[in-house]
Amino acid sequence: MSADTPVKDDPAAATGGPRGRSIPPWLRRLADVNEVWTFGVLVLLVVFFTAARPSTFLTSYDVTQIATNAAIYLVLAVGMTYVIIVAGIDLSVGSVLVLSAVLSAEYTIHHGGAKAGWGTIAVSTVIALVTGLVWGAMQGWLVAKAKVPPLIVTLGGFGAALGIAEIITGGQDPTGAVSNHLQHAIGFGKLFGQIPWLVVIAFATTLVFGLVLAFTRFGRYTYAIGSNPEAARRVGINVDRHLVKVYALVGLLSGLGSVMWLAYFGTTSIAGHATDNLTVITAVVLGGASLFGGRGSVLGTLIGVFIPAVLSTGLIIMGVQQYWQDVAIGVVLVAAVYLDQFRRRGRERA
Amino acid sequence: MTDPLLEARKVTKRYGHVHALQGADFTAYPGEVVALIGDNGAGKSTLVKTLSGTIRPDEGEVLVDGKPVQLGSPLDARKYGIETVYQDLALAQDLDAAANLHLGRELYRGGLLGRLGVLDRAAMRRSAVAAFRELGVDLRDVGVPVAALSGGQKQSVAVARAVVFANRIIFMDEPTAALGVVQRGRVLDTIKRVRDRGIAVVLISHNMPEVLSVADRVEVLRLGSRVARLTAADTTVEELVGAMTGALDAAGKEGAA
Amino acid sequence: MRHISRPTTLVGTCAVLALVAATTAACGGGSSGSGSKSLEMITGVKSDPFYITMACAAQQEAKKRGVKLTVNGSAQWDVAVQRPIIDSVAAKHPSGLLISPVDTAALTPSLNQMQNAGTKIVLVDTTVSDASIGVSRISSDNVAGGRAAAKALAKLMGDKGSAIVISVKPGVSTTDERTKGFDEEMKANHPNITLLPVLYDNDLPATAASQIQSTLAAHPDLGGVFAGNTNTAQGISTGLQAAGKQGKVKVAAFDAEPDEVTSLKTGTLDVLVAQDPARIGTEGVDQALAAIDKKKVTASIGTDMVAITKANLDSASVGKYLYKDAC
Repeated sequence: MSADTPVKDDPAAATGGPRGRSIPPWLRRLADVNEVWTFGVLVLLVVFFTAARPSTFLTSYDVTQIATNAAIYLVLAVGMTYVIIVAGIDLSVGSVLVLSAVLSAEYTIHHGGAKAGWGTIAVSTVIALVTGLVWGAMQGWLVAKAKVPPLIVTLGGFGAALGIAEIITGGQDPTGAVSNHLQHAIGFGKLFGQIPWLVVIAFATTLVFGLVLAFTRFGRYTYAIGSNPEAARRVGINVDRHLVKVYALVGLLSGLGSVMWLAYFGTTSIAGHATDNLTVITAVVLGGASLFGGRGSVLGTLIGVFIPAVLSTGLIIMGVQQYWQDVAIGVVLVAAVYLDQFRRRGRERA
Repeated sequence: MTDPLLEARKVTKRYGHVHALQGADFTAYPGEVVALIGDNGAGKSTLVKTLSGTIRPDEGEVLVDGKPVQLGSPLDARKYGIETVYQDLALAQDLDAAANLHLGRELYRGGLLGRLGVLDRAAMRRSAVAAFRELGVDLRDVGVPVAALSGGQKQSVAVARAVVFANRIIFMDEPTAALGVVQRGRVLDTIKRVRDRGIAVVLISHNMPEVLSVADRVEVLRLGSRVARLTAADTTVEELVGAMTGALDAAGKEGAA
Repeated sequence: MRHISRPTTLVGTCAVLALVAATTAACGGGSSGSGSKSLEMITGVKSDPFYITMACAAQQEAKKRGVKLTVNGSAQWDVAVQRPIIDSVAAKHPSGLLISPVDTAALTPSLNQMQNAGTKIVLVDTTVSDASIGVSRISSDNVAGGRAAAKALAKLMGDKGSAIVISVKPGVSTTDERTKGFDEEMKANHPNITLLPVLYDNDLPATAASQIQSTLAAHPDLGGVFAGNTNTAQGISTGLQAAGKQGKVKVAAFDAEPDEVTSLKTGTLDVLVAQDPARIGTEGVDQALAAIDKKKVTASIGTDMVAITKANLDSASVGKYLYKDAC
């Protein structure tokens, strides 16, 4: 804005001054955008794998499959971004997904099963979304009003949601949980015969909540509460209500994730979501969000979801032994966060 | 003098067995700088919190323009044109200066977008730039996170936020405590400028020379109630210290000027 | 259950006697008046069709032999869940116990105590590392199962192309043995099939789906996959379906749960390698009773596995291998 206003005698205003000489301002500005760095890492990975396996990596088949497999995690990660920005955490996402899937499946089973029509699909989808929303709001209430730390609330929620799902199903994934119509249309269907519906849903969700976070009051309050909840309270923001909304949002998106899961995998996979929370938190942190709150973006999260996805796909294509994949993802996570911290320290020495 | 803008009458606040305020009075008139002083534990912060809506008093009443009001939250206080610059500044470090200035009072885009809660960031930036220019604050970029600003600049943002929206009273809790000489001078200039707009500035400070240099009047709290009301021009540091410590009558108390 | 008080005293006295005599063998037989023999069974996961099938067969066998058998099972595959069940069963001092321990070491003390108190323990399906526990161990021959899977898969692949194993996680004895058998068979008898390195999906279907698709990208000639467990198989078939490769890439999975049988019928899965839980249950009861009656006990029994494809699904010999949801 007013970059050309002369700097006066304020000594501390010299922050970033010396660097300004050799680097053009537009580049410096760009480098200040967190996502640029994360995106750089992603580009680096893609370039590396493309060079290593030119004919197989990054073909349209490959891009589609990476995006499809990342779609559900992306939806969860968008919600997690909000929670982490308000300086919270949600360990329960995978279990809430399972619970939503199970409740929705129970309805489907009793209303047509695998052969159920679109009416049943609509109702079961609503059940999944509402389950997630209500569970999330409940956790939000405990965090905001009962003042239980979010780590504890959602750890409890993680166990409880899974437990309820197991009680309902007896611990076995029920048969006839998903309508074939849903599976064919959404799970394996493609928009214009090109883009899988799962990817469309995930990207639409990402776009909407990315815009909300960046451009609306809801987003701004999310950052403000994560930065300084007391300050937010003093300027009249209803912090408690906002927290409930944020946790309800991540619940809702877990519910959406469960619908996508059912459509794609055709089963509730009760045992298959124990580490969803870590996968998703990793992506959000890779995307530049701070676990102390106040920082992060949906765009960053989007990139953060794709870094591990590209990494593991690329390593499998290169035929690298599996154990190395875990090592690589771990190293990239720590390196990315270190880089981010290093850069921030340089900027915020005041 | 004119009628009081803000008045506290016989305000009492207890925390368990601790009587933070015991029938404290306070008065502020339009267009003046009034310093509220007192030793640690005299009840200054409790009184300020009561008047800025952060806490509710157990007894007593608060009057704005002579009418009793209920200040249930900082938001209520804001409605009466009362703003507070907190000692910890209460800034969201990760938001930029423009966002902090308008926090809780965002400007929205017109039409449907506005109804959806879409912010008008350009307008908020413009208004922030204008506000900082008016206060003589140098901010190279209102778009960088507050965390990246110097201590003085952060202070300026907090003061500007109160000044822009206050139309009656600003409480400033130790506004110069963390500042260097140059910045301190600038904040005191700002205080005078705000007063000249007809707003009452309530200054809470431990720095007696500073109080005497900028305040028009001084009200002294001791043990939870008002013990003295002084005109700054006719007062010395010794008198202030005497009133604060209760040694007013025992003359000859050596003050460190 | 009703007659528990009398045998309890008997067994209790017996345990003391056993200590004095420094032998446990003398005891079970001594107390086994006709009809007073009681058997207990603790399965790994109560609701798992594999264990349900095993328990049903055991119960049938016990009934045939005129013995009472009570079945318990953990709600989850968890030591903390199974141990209290063992302790409460131990309090009843049964003559015999059939158990599928969920941990190879953590349950040894509890089992040891029961064994010293005179209960004949038969380990069914899973085992513990301490060789002194149990009079007999009965489980599927997992290496043979892996071989059966390889054989059936190679046949469906037409003996060419690449094949891969996607397993759950390294260090699990059963799945490692299955992988070993699969590798052995492929290398020895199907040299035209390229065997790719094993991948592990940590029991996450989403990971399995992405792994199979990446493998497809790198190896378009992929013709067969051997899935470590049900979750993995689910993920693999989803991945293949999304990639439009279902039916072209053959999938072999372990077990024959009702869900999997449905998948076999619809073509999502191509080979099921079924264990024989019913035989494990039956043998378990027989071995336990043999030990109680001081007859000859077989220390280790490996039960057969059978490869089920669409072709032989309906044949009578295969029917008994399909797992049941309920007795």
